[in-house]
Amino acid sequence: MTIASQLIRSVTAKLYEISLKKIPEDTKSALNRAHGRETGELGRKMLTIMLKSADAAESGGTLVCSDVGVPVYLVRIGTGARLEAGFRQAITDGFADLVDAIDPPILKMVTNPLTLQRSYKGKGMPIVTFDLIDDADYVEIICSPKALGTGRWEAVETFVSPSLETIERYVLDTVIRAGSQPCLPMVVGVGIGGTLDYAAKMGKEAILRPVGSVNAEPLLADMEKRLLAAINATGFGPMGTGGDNTAMAVHVDYSFGHGFTPVAVFINCWINRRTRARIYNSGEVTWGE
Amino acid sequence: MSTHHRLKLPLCEQDVRALALGDTVSLAGEIVVTIGLPTHQRIAEYLLEGKALPIELHGGAFLHLSCYNDEGADGPQALYLGTTTSTRFNAFMPSFIRGYGLRLVGGKGGLDEECALAMQETGCVYLSFLGGGTALMSQALRRVVDVQWTDLISQFRLIKLQVEDLGPATVAIDAHGNSLYANLRRNADERLSGIVAKLNADRTNPPR
Repeated sequence: MTIASQLIRSVTAKLYEISLKKIPEDTKSALNRAHGRETGELGRKMLTIMLKSADAAESGGTLVCSDVGVPVYLVRIGTGARLEAGFRQAITDGFADLVDAIDPPILKMVTNPLTLQRSYKGKGMPIVTFDLIDDADYVEIICSPKALGTGRWEAVETFVSPSLETIERYVLDTVIRAGSQPCLPMVVGVGIGGTLDYAAKMGKEAILRPVGSVNAEPLLADMEKRLLAAINATGFGPMGTGGDNTAMAVHVDYSFGHGFTPVAVFINCWINRRTRARIYNSGEVTWGE
Repeated sequence: MSTHHRLKLPLCEQDVRALALGDTVSLAGEIVVTIGLPTHQRIAEYLLEGKALPIELHGGAFLHLSCYNDEGADGPQALYLGTTTSTRFNAFMPSFIRGYGLRLVGGKGGLDEECALAMQETGCVYLSFLGGGTALMSQALRRVVDVQWTDLISQFRLIKLQVEDLGPATVAIDAHGNSLYANLRRNADERLSGIVAKLNADRTNPPR
């Protein structure tokens, strides 16, 4: 069998809807852990209402956040997957279907950067990047909508043969510049090395790793642990009104490159929107986070 | 120890000056919301020209909350509420706070020192609402009182809403010039050298 474009269309629409209404289980667990170790009264109160809000959205089938961001999909195509023509268009159509059908309806967030006009569609939307998975007989699609609250603070800078101190300081400074303004506690994704575009891709994909997972590279596992402690020591706290939990996780990935080293820093807010699905040649669809 | 206040709107200067940094509040009464940059630009023009706004802001609560406003056959319906980052509107807010004698402003992420100064002068506090709190905050919606500037998209319109038990929101800038945001920024700056020293000292792998 081939993977029907109609199926891609319905799955991409559904992925977006789930990401808007349900925060990932790993993120809920991380918020619960944060609540357990938060010593600030106000911080605990904020974490309590975050968890309450997530539950209310999920049980009520409504939006966690009114800012639904813009649609961002990462598509990994198995080299054994058999796709119909019109695959890319199916994703665009899937988002259009979502806009027409979602209850409650979503606000216009897709913005023309040249005129600041807002609508539900436009050049480049949805944002889709592609990768390959050798030998797999499925397509994996990850949906991670992005909004201004965190997007405005993400940054990339290119260094020349930087030390680990320099790289880590850049991550810390980027997060401190954002301060109280993203909806904390955040998840931080970092891409180090390669080329500028590839560092950004790595950072974006690193943020999608499950919260609580440990990096397989000992040097990066150590960096993640220390950066998380450093960020939490800043004290901006839940909702940026003070406390011990400014971040839930730091996820770092890297690539060999040349002497120049781009460092890309990404931030997700506490709702950490992320859903994924695998669509198999057989037509079976499995859902994940 | 943070105190929770159930506030009935409108508030007088004395009510507002009694609120302490870190207290939480819930609101009952009428609020005006918008998250539009064009809306702020338009309000600034009206203020400059001395023109009356189509929705009265004087002495009121002007909040950076987004609202999905549905123009149904039965009139406007507010489907949900959410927050946005207020600092985007820093440049506008001092003149709005002074010009309209606002008692409550809010959203998330705070406002800058110029705004805090205006709030201290006139008697106004900034409320931090939960980002990602749409499901909870929307339970407070009772009625759309008025919608103006419908040439703008839903969340950019000037919308007056009646709410009941909207909150909890944190008093993050009080009416005495104190700001949690400024305090936290100062604390973070003061801690930075120690944080960096620990970040480096705890590194398991030696630097290259």
